[in-house]
Amino acid sequence: MLSCVEFLAEFGDYIDEAASPDLRAHLEEHLHECKTCQVIVDSTRKTIQIVTESGCFTLPAHAVDSIVSEVMSRIRHKAT
Amino acid sequence: MSQFPTISSDPPRSYPQLVAVYGFLPNLFRAQSALPRAVEAEHQLIDAVVVRQGRLSRDQKGALLKGVASVRDNDYCRALFGHALPAVPDCNSALFDFSLKLAKHGPWVSKHDVVTLKNSGFDETGILEAVVTTGIGHMLCTLADGLNPRLDAELRSPAPGELLNIPEPLSWPEIPEAHLGLPPDSATGSPAYAVLREQYGFVPNLYQVQSALPALLGAEVRLLEAVLFSEDGLSRLQKECILLTISAANLNTYCTTLQSQVLNILGIPPEESGRIVEDHRTGSISETDQALLDECRKLASLPRGASKRFEPERLRAQGFAEPRIIEAVVVAGLANLLNTLQAGVRAVPDFPPGRVFGPKDLYPFSGKSRPISDAIPSEDPDAAIVARVQKGDIDVFEELVRRHSRRVFGALAGLVGNIDDARDATQEVFLKAFENIGRFQGRSKFSTWLISIAINTGTELLRQRKPSESLAEMEDDEGFRPRQVQKWEDNPEQMCSASEVNDLVREAVLRLPEKYRVAVLLRDINQLSTEEAAAALDLSIPALKARVLRGRLMLRESLAPHFIRTEKPDA
Repeated sequence: MLSCVEFLAEFGDYIDEAASPDLRAHLEEHLHECKTCQVIVDSTRKTIQIVTESGCFTLPAHAVDSIVSEVMSRIRHKAT
Repeated sequence: MSQFPTISSDPPRSYPQLVAVYGFLPNLFRAQSALPRAVEAEHQLIDAVVVRQGRLSRDQKGALLKGVASVRDNDYCRALFGHALPAVPDCNSALFDFSLKLAKHGPWVSKHDVVTLKNSGFDETGILEAVVTTGIGHMLCTLADGLNPRLDAELRSPAPGELLNIPEPLSWPEIPEAHLGLPPDSATGSPAYAVLREQYGFVPNLYQVQSALPALLGAEVRLLEAVLFSEDGLSRLQKECILLTISAANLNTYCTTLQSQVLNILGIPPEESGRIVEDHRTGSISETDQALLDECRKLASLPRGASKRFEPERLRAQGFAEPRIIEAVVVAGLANLLNTLQAGVRAVPDFPPGRVFGPKDLYPFSGKSRPISDAIPSEDPDAAIVARVQKGDIDVFEELVRRHSRRVFGALAGLVGNIDDARDATQEVFLKAFENIGRFQGRSKFSTWLISIAINTGTELLRQRKPSESLAEMEDDEGFRPRQVQKWEDNPEQMCSASEVNDLVREAVLRLPEKYRVAVLLRDINQLSTEEAAAALDLSIPALKARVLRGRLMLRESLAPHFIRTEKPDA
């Protein structure tokens, strides 16, 4: 069975649901026995969800227009 | 055993020798049975360099080959090299580091790297052996990429690729300087020199540098004779054009110059060669040959990462018979071998170069930036608009800005940490993209190209900041282990307000070391696929995955104190 160190090196594809069937079986065998790695997998999934949904680096809608306007103005100015 | 059938009924004479090396006849060589002379020449080169004991031991050379296969992410060659040399060799780390850099970042290899190796006790002959071994690794990986042999029954599937620590190169060697001295010209009367004089009219410096190893030189020239100088399949002109296209893709000034000279002798004027160097699709070559060069270019050793696979069916559709397609792959392998040799020894050009490659060929906006990747062909929803802009319709560029400004801003805000700076930089990114859109060739999605520009622009901005303004980053990855192992709440995001969550995430992301921050930004905030993010950062897919995972674990560590489950006291 995988050690925790081996599990932690390999579980990236598992949480992205991109692990091969073989790797998945090995990882799940370890997970079944290891409470610590269960916690790490669960909290990493929650981390990804929080980060993905946070919108902390989102450009406000009104700012899109001002960027478009400024960029196009500079491009047209150069073109003339 | 391969997507190519075994054609020849006359097996190459070197088959028994190959069996002696590997214990069986690898499918990689079976797949080339239509070209028995090429197989024999490949074996002779492998024998002269890898099998024979030289300054480097066979174990050391085996370790270098396995390193190249890992850099190329080539499972077949990892299995093959691992089979031939199953023991874990004790390879000198300076030697291994040099070879890995040459394999992954050939154009960046400098005299300084060679001096470092000399200071570790290697003489010029040993260094030359390391360079050629790395080149052979590239050649065999190119053959495997193009011929796609089935894993032999005798080989074990390789374990998941180890993550190699190959630092990003910091500076391009601005002053080209020969890495190795020219040995006393003892090979003047050798048969190898006679062949080279007959073909080129002189002995190119790339070969003179290697004359101290006559067995190596002889084997290389035999490979040239078998693959390049013979004309019973593809024409010499077609093969020289493949060499030129791949040399240009590998940013190899010397080989591009030499190839252009040869093409000139074959009747191709320098301006036409120049067009092939810049973009082979703009030259006046036929549609059939354009397809040939398109496919062969995919086999160039630089860039790698998420490059598109070689597609033999496209060449079949253009009327190329199987032996011609196999020959094209073999010529591509030869090109990568020669390019690697030159990157390692840096022979002095034989002629004034018509085109000197520099860092701006990797990324047109900054001399210090990381290479841009333009290597993921796929259906691009922006392709039609980009084409209109390239034809001069400025106004439709507005749609591209509107579509991508949020994504570009998101990457920059996460990288530089300051909203105003990110907004200004977003504008700069679009202006740079507009100015350079003529150079965008559609080999990656436009959005991926744009994100590459954003990452480079943001990175430059960080570099320009005074140290006092730099972000307080978390400790780097050395020794990082998850420490927080308590359960989290079932719905952690409900434990605080949305704005509080945003603040926590922003702070945690900005504390990540830059390499992990960028990887997480592209995957989890910008929602790029693994392949797109790897291409935008010019990383191999395993390297990108490793950084994303480490970044996520570090974020988890930062966020854990806010979201762990608090045990309720007993009633």
